[in-house]
Amino acid sequence: MNAPGVWFMLVRTVSNGIRAILLVFVMSVLIVLAARGEREDAVEMWIFSPEHHALYQAHIDRHDLGSADPPLRVSILSIEGIQSRVLGGVYGGLESADLIEVERAISGPLFLAPEGSVGLRNLRPILEREGLLERFNAPSLSPWARGDRLYGIPHDVHPVLLAYRADIVEAHGIDLSGATTWERFFELMRPVMRDEDADGTPDRYPLAFWYTQKHNLELLLLQGDGRLFDEDGRPTLDEAPNPELLARIVSWCLGPDRVVVDIDEFSASGHMSRIRGDAVAYLCPDWMCSIWRSNTPQLGGKLRLMPLPAFEEGGRRTSVRGGTMLCFPEGSDRFDEAWSYAKELYTSPELARELYRTADIITPVTSLWDDPVYDEPDPFFMGQAKGRMYIDMAPRVPKRASSPYYDRAVEAVRDAATNLAGWARGSGTRDRDALAERASVLLARAQRRIEREMERRVIADTGGAP
Amino acid sequence: MFLAPFLILFTLFVLYPAIQSVPLAFEQTYGPGERVRVGTRNFAYLVEDPLFWRAVRNTAAYTLGTLVLQLPLAFALALALNARRLRGRAVYRLIFFSPQLMGIVFASILSGLVFEKRSGLVNRALAGVTGNHDLLAIAWLQEHVMATLVIISIWLYAGFNMVYFLAALQSVDPELLEASEIDGAGPVARLRHVVIPSIRPVATVVVVLAMLGSLQLFELPYVLLDGGGGPNNQGLTVVMYLYQSGFRFGDLGYASAIGWALAIPLIVLGLIQMKQLAPERVGS
Amino acid sequence: MSSPRGARAIGALRHGALVPIAGVILTPMVWMLVSSLKSREDYFSGLFLPSGTGPFGIGWDKLTLDNYRTLIEVGFARPLVNSTLYASMSSLLATVFCAAAGYALAMYRFRGRRTVTAVVFGALVVPPTLLIAPTYGLLHDLGLLDTVPGLVAPSIVPAFGVFLFRQAVVQSVPRELIEAARIDGCSEVRIFFVIVFPLLRPMTGAFMLITFMAMWNNFLSPQIVLQSAEKQPLSVAIMQLQGVYKTDYGVLMAATVVSVAPVSVLFLLLQREFIQGLSRGATKG
Repeated sequence: MNAPGVWFMLVRTVSNGIRAILLVFVMSVLIVLAARGEREDAVEMWIFSPEHHALYQAHIDRHDLGSADPPLRVSILSIEGIQSRVLGGVYGGLESADLIEVERAISGPLFLAPEGSVGLRNLRPILEREGLLERFNAPSLSPWARGDRLYGIPHDVHPVLLAYRADIVEAHGIDLSGATTWERFFELMRPVMRDEDADGTPDRYPLAFWYTQKHNLELLLLQGDGRLFDEDGRPTLDEAPNPELLARIVSWCLGPDRVVVDIDEFSASGHMSRIRGDAVAYLCPDWMCSIWRSNTPQLGGKLRLMPLPAFEEGGRRTSVRGGTMLCFPEGSDRFDEAWSYAKELYTSPELARELYRTADIITPVTSLWDDPVYDEPDPFFMGQAKGRMYIDMAPRVPKRASSPYYDRAVEAVRDAATNLAGWARGSGTRDRDALAERASVLLARAQRRIEREMERRVIADTGGAP
Repeated sequence: MFLAPFLILFTLFVLYPAIQSVPLAFEQTYGPGERVRVGTRNFAYLVEDPLFWRAVRNTAAYTLGTLVLQLPLAFALALALNARRLRGRAVYRLIFFSPQLMGIVFASILSGLVFEKRSGLVNRALAGVTGNHDLLAIAWLQEHVMATLVIISIWLYAGFNMVYFLAALQSVDPELLEASEIDGAGPVARLRHVVIPSIRPVATVVVVLAMLGSLQLFELPYVLLDGGGGPNNQGLTVVMYLYQSGFRFGDLGYASAIGWALAIPLIVLGLIQMKQLAPERVGS
Repeated sequence: MSSPRGARAIGALRHGALVPIAGVILTPMVWMLVSSLKSREDYFSGLFLPSGTGPFGIGWDKLTLDNYRTLIEVGFARPLVNSTLYASMSSLLATVFCAAAGYALAMYRFRGRRTVTAVVFGALVVPPTLLIAPTYGLLHDLGLLDTVPGLVAPSIVPAFGVFLFRQAVVQSVPRELIEAARIDGCSEVRIFFVIVFPLLRPMTGAFMLITFMAMWNNFLSPQIVLQSAEKQPLSVAIMQLQGVYKTDYGVLMAATVVSVAPVSVLFLLLQREFIQGLSRGATKG
């Protein structure tokens, strides 16, 4: 018996299932081999947002960048996918793209690297050389800077306004123009909490928020000038004004005086709650507008925007939430081409306009702010020129630290808030000062937790602290 | 010659990493490239790391759920299918086993959709049956993470373990059963004195395997909770924490330390299992 | 209890309990299948089939294959091929390697056999979790990150495979048969493939199915080892799909159906061997 004969015998003696495995093996090998084309010589860009993808692709088609030399190729991945690949590039020395849009939620571990090996190119020199640095909204650079290095150019500003259901507010005869502080806002909104269906709970709440929503918790802390890290990257969780702020925010969620309701932000159930109007007002960063638009089209013409009520009279009336940077892995060998594409995508007036039209996001490039597109009335928001409203807030958005421990710190604060609420419920305490005192104990605990974690780190993170 | 290919790869990909995991647990790394020896610091931090202990508590709760809910249910199903003449046994067995075919990642994706607030099958069915629309708002994946995981694991694994139990039950000597029946033993007594003793070895292996699996829980919560521990880390498990430490924060050393902390109970369980399989080993 | 009527009543009772349980177990899968055929707008209309004007108050005409079309558009075919490749490659290689090693340990007498057996069996208790971090370091040093061998090689040498095959050889391959074949001048390789392998048939089927499913459902290794988008298997791709199409439930359902169907078909083909192998393994314990 010759060798093929042996194989033939083998295939004959095995069962159907095994034959099936052999068959699919051979087939998949053939397909994979057939699909293995030459690696194309292109500038590769990874992004996570389907909206950005549509936008860039349209731009590429319009300007024929797909067949330029070298062409620009944009692929869309999940945030999770981008994270594991950016880190794969940094840790494993694997090839990643030439241009990557990185969301703030996943940038932390990058800044954990020892000084020289962040794996991303420091862009400050080239930005300064080309005079681009001043063209960006200054506070929007802060999350991507470490010491005097800058690891990405900002894609956005993401200022926050308050979106509210004008139909409901009007039906209750409420005039919100006097709602300059949160206290005043909740007071004016009392009428919406009437229990008209008599089921023992208010039909609606003034604001959608819960202390377990870490992003919104961070947003409110930032609005009230709370800081989680100082300029040198040292944690400041338990420093003023954080304890008092946390106590105020958590007290919104407590007992008979409760004024907020927990509504999922991105799930179908949340969309249905918003359509029903379970909450009247919502913390609304610019990008959230397009989420509303696409998931709750029924609400078109029923929403209005206004500046956030401040914590104190005269205080900050906006905040910031989320953010994306465009970064350049050091492993890429086509920085120059990538850089010129990046400038094209990030500073083009045309794309900034499109970005606003399709995703409601305002550009961080200050020189583009006088574009008339931002003054166009938006029918979804009852004809408000919402672009202008967001831009007016842009220079006032709070700065954020780029600490690798930032996310852990936010979670530690959220845990402290959860504990505080539990403690308040258990003890029946509603007194603001007692809550603040308790908050400061809990925040001190959170602070120690972060400090311990930072001390553990031996591979130096010398970017901030000396 | 038949052994050589296996041995080479086995040494490279099993033995070598197993040995490497020891020195690695005493290092701190940033990716595999940057390494610093830190002595026992990893373990010192581990014993007071609140996240680690939260992961341990969650994992223990899940394992407990497996032991007190999933396995008894699997055994009960096996008993029910073990009737002397039961029509459609093969069909039942296939149906009960079928969730296992989905594979854990895909089952997790499906579970995520099934347990969604409002849109999910579970809440919509509950609300539909009871007529109480508040049930639509049960936040399984936000507030009852561990309970949800246990429910999913019952769906996923009870049928799988049932197949083992059933095989063992079917091999119980019928003469022994008849003899005890003639002696006047009732069904409960027969279960206690004849059935359970004769399936004990298999049962031990099933319990040990289920515990080994439960303690290494990772994919289910990871996929269900979008790659994190979920709200307040309610769904953080030990292996997930290992993954986060090693591959999100790049510290393979700390990941190894976590690996060893988990390995010790696992190895003990493994030895128990080996002991059950041992008679056969000696026999050959 | 021994009267036929009593037995029948008990039988009915059993079915009365088992049928609802079977129903509950199957429901999510049926729901998945039906939901994958519903458009985004109809997802909420009707718990299972969309409501409408067709027979039984169901909108039969609203069922659509659009979700599956979307899957093809977003390139979900590639991970399907990848998963098939990795799973079949891993199961074929693991079977050959483990069967050969198990055969050698059972049939040949050579120096160090006891040591090798002890080491391999000792490795049975090493939890895979422990190997994750050092294996990553090793693959990095070998330059195997983001390669197919880097993904597959660590999966094809499971100690339990050798253990199982060694038992199977001891149980079902008569030594005399091998001796006779040797006297006939058969080469060792041919003896193994032509004589031994067919005798191990039930074991092979069960083991291949187990290794195939293990790789198909493997999430952690590809997530850690693979980098390129075009190399991702279904398990990772579907998780990323979930990230991008967060609220497009129908597409996710369709992706799950596509990911689960091939393994289910394979299982049905190998079911007998599998249950046999499983049961035998269990009862022999």
